[in-house]
Amino acid sequence: MQRYQYPKNRELFERAVKVIPAGIPGHLGPASGCFIPVSAYPFFCEKAEGTYFWDVDGNRFIDYMCAYGPNILGYNHPDVDAAARAQMEKANCTTVPAPLMIELAELLVDTVDSADWAMFAKNGGDVTNLAMLTARAATGRKKIVKFVGGYHGVLPWMLDVGYPGVLYEDIENIITIPFNNVEIFKQVLAEHHGDIAGVISTPYDHQAMNENHLPADGFWSEVRQLCSTNEIVLILDDVRCGFRLDLRGSDYHYGFRADLICFCKALANGYSISALCGDESLRPAISSVFATGSYWLSAVPIAAAIRCIEIMREIDAPQIMKHIGDKFADGLINIADEHGFELRVTGERAMPILTLGDDESNFLLQEWVAEMVMRGIFLANHHNIFMNYAVSDEDLEQTFAAAHDAFETVRKNHPEMYR
Amino acid sequence: MYETVKASINLHAVLRNMEDLCQLDDASAEAVGDRYVSIRFSVPEIDRLVLTFRNQSCQAGRGDELPYNMNLRFSSPEHLNLMVEGVKNPIPTKGFRHIGFLKDTFTFLAGRLESYLKPDHEKAATDSEYLKRSTILTAYAALYAVPEIARYDETGRKLASKIEDGIINVTVGDDFGLHLIAEKGRLRTMKGRSANARTAMMFDTFETAFGLLNGKLDSYTCIGLGLLAIRGRVSMIDNFNKLLGMVPHYLS
Ligand SMILES: Cc1ncc(COP(=O)(O)O)c(C=O)c1O
Repeated sequence: MQRYQYPKNRELFERAVKVIPAGIPGHLGPASGCFIPVSAYPFFCEKAEGTYFWDVDGNRFIDYMCAYGPNILGYNHPDVDAAARAQMEKANCTTVPAPLMIELAELLVDTVDSADWAMFAKNGGDVTNLAMLTARAATGRKKIVKFVGGYHGVLPWMLDVGYPGVLYEDIENIITIPFNNVEIFKQVLAEHHGDIAGVISTPYDHQAMNENHLPADGFWSEVRQLCSTNEIVLILDDVRCGFRLDLRGSDYHYGFRADLICFCKALANGYSISALCGDESLRPAISSVFATGSYWLSAVPIAAAIRCIEIMREIDAPQIMKHIGDKFADGLINIADEHGFELRVTGERAMPILTLGDDESNFLLQEWVAEMVMRGIFLANHHNIFMNYAVSDEDLEQTFAAAHDAFETVRKNHPEMYR
Repeated sequence: MYETVKASINLHAVLRNMEDLCQLDDASAEAVGDRYVSIRFSVPEIDRLVLTFRNQSCQAGRGDELPYNMNLRFSSPEHLNLMVEGVKNPIPTKGFRHIGFLKDTFTFLAGRLESYLKPDHEKAATDSEYLKRSTILTAYAALYAVPEIARYDETGRKLASKIEDGIINVTVGDDFGLHLIAEKGRLRTMKGRSANARTAMMFDTFETAFGLLNGKLDSYTCIGLGLLAIRGRVSMIDNFNKLLGMVPHYLS
């Protein structure tokens, strides 16, 4: 099987580093994106459609990263793009907003189980931060409980000391505890009785770098109960899972009701918008919080979000993601097994993380993923991947063919694995 | 606490480097000559360092039980830090006959060391041997500093506690390497590369390592350009790299 080369990608990167710190900063870049080895990966996208993107060297990838989640219906979805274009012709970023935002809020209230209202912003971190502020405003308390490995964005309180620029003072009121451990949560409640404003969590433990864990039986119902009893605001960060597990919200999926729920990624199939939805009781608190941004109410992404949600409802997107994810996972697990590898697929099948057994260092995983990428299958060695509606059976077959070849290559490179 | 962390770095990362200085730098080895002086540095709250000079070489040791024939006492970590800056003198409490060595040879060696740790960039641009030695000594200083930060600095402890057990290799091309052993939130630096690393940070050349260690290049850009490669448990490297990023705060 032919392996990709990236001369133009490299050339552009060299140009980029001259004027952009790190060339491509952030999670799309080669450092945070864990491009290991870097020579196996493309840097820049020329065009995208459906489940594919083409890099600047003309290499085509079946993209299982989906831009880290936003691509849910397929890149450049004609209907979503048409809705955005139609709004673009009318107005986008204006002094007073387009009435379309009411329509989107109505649609979210109608779709999301725990939503009595909706507010809009741009990025996931905007709404997780807004949720935190709302919890404090509502309770008059300071402390926020979050879970180990839970990612909520890049503001200092969401990070930790040791990240350049983050101070102890920034995280003084943040308590981080292990996911799925109600006993420790109870201890924290006892220790900080009357001080905890909110609990923020992703629907399940979908942390990077490690196997993911679904909620243990009874975990969410107990946490929900304890939050209610102690008048703590329960915030669900559904930025990554939202609309991939259940259109009614991932709290609904796991059988509970959050007080606040944060959406972004899949909300508008790639247009820049996020949303915070929540319970009626928190309306006064959130109305009091000072929160806004230059582009938060721009109409084009709102139009895209409306069309995206309508389509996701029409096709029952989560069911399809799960179905594709099951075929993907089962197929790959078998292929790995044929080549003597144990491929572990953890988390939800619509957005699983891949790891290999007997691979404490992740060397094998990194090699295998690199071999896949060079064969046109874009995966990640450090992060959960994502299914999208445009993945066809033929794409899966191509993925499997590449997997055979890639496992075979890794196997050959590691004679020590033959026992 | 700042002074304590800095003093432990000054002892166990900077002055420890006399060992490698005498190996890499002929002038330093010659200065030691055939004398035998074993200097113990006693600083409150910090493990003792013993530097044993003999046969044109130096050996660094850590702990209370090592033999010595000269003792330098410091009233506080700050006192040691001021000595390293050349502002204050140590208090010899044993080995007065070696004061001449301390005043002349040791001061000379300290100057040589500084010339590598605070390199002349113009010279480095044209003298590859100088650049290589400077890089090696700076790498030792920085990477021996990391366990001290992981032990004494509050943020350092937090970062170190997140590093899973295992070995971190740091290498430059095929020529040079050292490794850190992480175990239950403590770190130890060892010379040479390990064959059992769980993760690795690999500089392609001494030029890249020199640029990065002296803050002229950044690791994110170097990774993208393929000058610095990362492999293995990325979370280990990530937290290790944050510790490494704290070194300049103490090593000015
Ligand atoms: C669960 C979760 N929360 C919050 C965020 C932050 O979103 P953004 O990067 O759009 O600010 C992310 C982004 O990956 C996420 O996955």
